[in-house]
Amino acid sequence: MCPPVHFGVLYEINPWMHKEVVVDRDRAHEQWKGLVATLRGAGAEVVVAEPDPAVPDMVFTANAGIVNCRADAPHQFVPAHFRFPERQPETEIFARWFAGQGFTVDRLPVALAHEGAGDALPFRGSLLSGYRFRSDLPATAELARLTGAAVRAVELVDERLYHIDLTFCPLDDRRAMAAPMGWDRYGRTVVEALVPEPLWLTDDEALAFSANSVVVGSTVVMATTPPRVGRQLEAWGFDVVTCDVSEFLKAGGGCRCLTLALDVSLGGPPRSPARPPEPSGVTTG
Amino acid sequence: MEVVETFGVEGHIVDSLILAKVLDLILEAGADYRMVDVQIGRTSTDPSRAVFEVTAADDDALVRLAEQLQVHGANPLTSGDAVLAAADLDGVLPAGFYSTTNLATEVRVAGRWATVANPEMDCGLVVSGEDPPTVRTVPMHRVRSGDQVVIGGTGVRVRAPEVPRGVSVFEFMDSEVSSEKPKGLAVRTVADRVRAARHDGARVLAVCGPAVVHTGGGPAVARMVREGWIQVLFAGNGFATHDIESNVLGTSLGVSVVEGAPTEGGHSNHLRVVNEVRRHGSIADAVAAGWITGGVMYECVRAEVPFLLGGSIRDDGPLPDVVTDVVAAADRMRELIDGVGVALMAATTLHAIATGNILPAAVETFCIDINPAVVTKLADRGSHQAHGIVTDVGLFVHQLATELEER
Repeated sequence: MCPPVHFGVLYEINPWMHKEVVVDRDRAHEQWKGLVATLRGAGAEVVVAEPDPAVPDMVFTANAGIVNCRADAPHQFVPAHFRFPERQPETEIFARWFAGQGFTVDRLPVALAHEGAGDALPFRGSLLSGYRFRSDLPATAELARLTGAAVRAVELVDERLYHIDLTFCPLDDRRAMAAPMGWDRYGRTVVEALVPEPLWLTDDEALAFSANSVVVGSTVVMATTPPRVGRQLEAWGFDVVTCDVSEFLKAGGGCRCLTLALDVSLGGPPRSPARPPEPSGVTTG
Repeated sequence: MEVVETFGVEGHIVDSLILAKVLDLILEAGADYRMVDVQIGRTSTDPSRAVFEVTAADDDALVRLAEQLQVHGANPLTSGDAVLAAADLDGVLPAGFYSTTNLATEVRVAGRWATVANPEMDCGLVVSGEDPPTVRTVPMHRVRSGDQVVIGGTGVRVRAPEVPRGVSVFEFMDSEVSSEKPKGLAVRTVADRVRAARHDGARVLAVCGPAVVHTGGGPAVARMVREGWIQVLFAGNGFATHDIESNVLGTSLGVSVVEGAPTEGGHSNHLRVVNEVRRHGSIADAVAAGWITGGVMYECVRAEVPFLLGGSIRDDGPLPDVVTDVVAAADRMRELIDGVGVALMAATTLHAIATGNILPAAVETFCIDINPAVVTKLADRGSHQAHGIVTDVGLFVHQLATELEER
């Protein structure tokens, strides 16, 4: 995670962001500390990255990149390539940070955008990856090559749900929260085939950032908890904790956006290095 | 005009339904696709790859669709723009020039496909202008220093000829030149194609050898010219000479076209005819003077149907209208084939092949000859579109003219 020292809504790159809305930075910091405490209370270990004043959205570490910590291979980090120039400096900041932590840093071709774990969630041995608004579809083929994971790509169709982590939340090996409003009909079919026991979110529940939750063991940490969702999660045996992150919702980010899971292990044998970057605009895959 | 582009898409396109979506998008856009290659990954982590050909209504529709498909990772596989080199000498193509076929051809210039205006085999391709660029086939001798000539096959694509509209009797005659076919059916089909061409505003080209006159077919061809079924005529010195001979002296190569018997002193008839036309200055002048009063050449002059008489080394005379410079003759033929939709090649080997060499494959070509080898020769020289009809040409043109008049 990364503390919101420099956080603010300084530009508008999603429909939630409005520059005239002022972020209460003290309150944001309190909320962030509250989330850290909640996660630690649920049993998570939290590692903190140094914030950089140039990038206010660095607080949303979910978009830093893809983490792959397999037991039988060097820990791997694939830094994100951001769609918007405002966030592009984060790539090198996180690449340096992960290299400093002993990770092998593998890179996507420069011409392809992919916004990290915000657009790629591991579930049942696959990476479910969103594309269109922030990530390019051909990047998913490169991700598969780099990580050895089977990637299933779904097209995001609602600008308010601009990352896959606003539409999908893996809960355990069989269950996940899923917001069909975020995908086209092909994406819905893909998710239906992938998830044995989905908790389908209504549009209102999805737009309340329900899918942007953090799961630590059997604890689900949510920005808001719609009653129906809370009941179903509890019926499945999860502890639901609501954690106020309203200052961050002003920038279109919920609990999950503020975290990057480090205990991710993507399946499959290690792959050969990526092909050299293609010329700009020309992509395969 | 329909345009075709090859696309590729790669990744986990099967599990993600990306391939299904891409193909659906193509159909929803009113375009069509043909799978060229699909490689499915062996395991769930192996990427799959699909290559498919998209046919869209026009360039704009294809560009719009390509933009849509690109979002889903499907990209054109075009190798790039055509490579151009300037000709450094008049009449000489740059080394490595792309040698044309007679098929519909397109050349990629500045990211867009330009259709070759005048497909012709065994030529170079010259690109000129910019917005939009034009591409023309240019025979070697017409290339000028500085012309931008296409080099190699990159950025060039050709399209197989389209099947003629409607069911054709020639669908079952296509592969073989056979004498064992019902001729009445063939005549009716050719008549239908000629009629359809006239209806569509396309022109009909007749290429005639002297045997048309020898076998008594002259009056039928003359009738077809007079009634507007034939708009261009290619022939040689022999055909024109015997056509005039038969109308002025009643013989063809000295043989009476009515009685079929040699006439006294007839062996020199054609020379006397050539000689008199030379005295008049041209066939048109001889018609104007009232010396020629009928026949194919007469009807051409009267109906202002353009004709080209190509010379050869064995010609007697020749007639003053004969173009004896064969390079100039071929160039004149190139001018005259503009707008031709149907070509009838009747009892001529050399003129049929010469014409076949400059005709686009899209021109429906019928080759009528008593000798099957003529059609074979034509096809062997690249005019694969030619349909062969093995029969006596005199009977055939007579039936054809009758068929055209009847309906």
